Amino acid sequence: MTAASAVRQVFGFFGFLGRRTGKTRVFAILGLIPIVLAVVARVILHGRTGLMADVSTEILMVFFLQFYIVILALFYGTSVAAEEVENRTLAYLITRPLPKPAIILGKFAAYSTLMFVLVAVSLALSYFVINAGRLGELDVYWTFLRYIGVLGLGILAYTAFFAFLGTLLKRAIIVGLIFGFGWENVIQYFPGSTQRFSIVHYLKSLLPYQPVRGVPSGGRGVALLLFRLEPTKPWIAILALAVITAALLVLACWLFRTKEYLFEE
Amino acid sequence: MTAVIAASSLSKWYGNVLGLNDVTLEIEDGVTGLLGPNGAGKSTFMKLITGQMKPNIGAVTVRGQRVWNNPDIFPAIGFCPEQDVFYEDITGWEFVTGLLRFYGYSRAEIEERAARALAIVDLTEAKDRLIRGYSRGMRQRAKFAQAVAHDPDILILDEPLSGLDPLGKRKLIRLIKEFKDQGRTVLVSSHVLPEIEALTSRIVLIHQGKILAQGDISVVRELIEAHPHQISVRSSDPRALAARFVGDPSIQKMTFGDDGRTLVVETHKRDEFFGRLTDVVLGAAIEVEEISSPDDNLQAVFAYLVGK
Repeated sequence: MTAASAVRQVFGFFGFLGRRTGKTRVFAILGLIPIVLAVVARVILHGRTGLMADVSTEILMVFFLQFYIVILALFYGTSVAAEEVENRTLAYLITRPLPKPAIILGKFAAYSTLMFVLVAVSLALSYFVINAGRLGELDVYWTFLRYIGVLGLGILAYTAFFAFLGTLLKRAIIVGLIFGFGWENVIQYFPGSTQRFSIVHYLKSLLPYQPVRGVPSGGRGVALLLFRLEPTKPWIAILALAVITAALLVLACWLFRTKEYLFEE
Repeated sequence: MTAVIAASSLSKWYGNVLGLNDVTLEIEDGVTGLLGPNGAGKSTFMKLITGQMKPNIGAVTVRGQRVWNNPDIFPAIGFCPEQDVFYEDITGWEFVTGLLRFYGYSRAEIEERAARALAIVDLTEAKDRLIRGYSRGMRQRAKFAQAVAHDPDILILDEPLSGLDPLGKRKLIRLIKEFKDQGRTVLVSSHVLPEIEALTSRIVLIHQGKILAQGDISVVRELIEAHPHQISVRSSDPRALAARFVGDPSIQKMTFGDDGRTLVVETHKRDEFFGRLTDVVLGAAIEVEEISSPDDNLQAVFAYLVGK
């Protein structure tokens, strides 16, 4: 079996398995929260568009960008290697004719796809409910595509990071929580180049609106996600996210291949 | 005969704990029993020969090839782990077909092989039930099914009979023997001598990470015969029971258990003792609640060999 075929088979098995787990059901329920909030906002807005819809959409994006994709990636990413070790199911995988990196890459791809579907469904429903009064405007769809693209890149980068942590550490969830909700939440507001040491900085740099000189809100009148953002050029941000994802995946594969996972009998 | 599995000067430790100590061993075609008490190093040895661990010192090969990080060897190996662990949220059918995907078979072949493997272990009817709803015996059989589904030449079974009822044990023993009859290699571990005895006469005794002895099981049996068997009899009146055995030539020693209801007997002539016990129980109307002889005195043999 070729390496690509091995990755595909692992992807298929864990894509299927991932849909069955209680974890996925819990996160799917969590994904209902923005939809419910969107419906509530829509009722309050009484069909008004413009600024209020922008504010509501941005609140949604704070939820997705700084909470939902981080918590999803934390639990799915760390579980790429760690769940096999903790559940002791690793023997079923590493005694098969699979190169070990194929296990990491296949599970990473399966879980990233699963997370993307959860996020895309939740975002699409909540976004179009809030912006229901502007469905005739092309800009609404363009903004949606930018959002979904940013969240997709975020899922890949965070999942790669947490997958790496899961192959490296026994208590990856705790370190992941500190990183995802501590480091990321603080460093992104540091001035100058320091904020570039967070993943979320590059994601925010790809949002469909950016701060302009002298107008931190980018002229939108609301700037929850632009607060203290000193954006990186979009192509550099995409490159940085791609490098982060690829480098961490390579490290995770290398660790998984060389490391012995000893069970405490 | 060519060795199918070869270990040379194999050592493995976990921190300061020695799991396996300088083991040199060759395993040939047929069934070989790896016998030793819990914590003896059986599972460590099996994890090393299935590439789940790498040795600290020494080397292990299967059919002349290294195992660690060598996926090419695994179509030839079927492994049944000791732990009762599964992907719990799927059915038996999904479990076996899911793992068969990793061999690059077509969908039709996967289904054919899974159906055959599940039929072998009598799980065809239960194949669409979630594994989390399986009984212990069914789970053990599902583990066996995934190990044989890809038709491996070498079968490595870590305590496969533990937790099975007598009927389940008999079925699995029959399956393992069928495997042997097809000219394959089976390495099976257990800490219970009669289980191994039912499978093979070729055994490897392992204790505290070292190979103590290997060869025909009759050697071990002779050693066992040289040591008194310990039999516990729990009854309503252990003192009355003991009184009936005073002076019995088949008994070396009698003591009472801490619970006050158990008579512990040491004897060289186990069959003779059981015959006498039946007569005594029937004659004196003493109610016997339980008779046990936990390890068939295997522990004494290990103690003897270690002492030697």
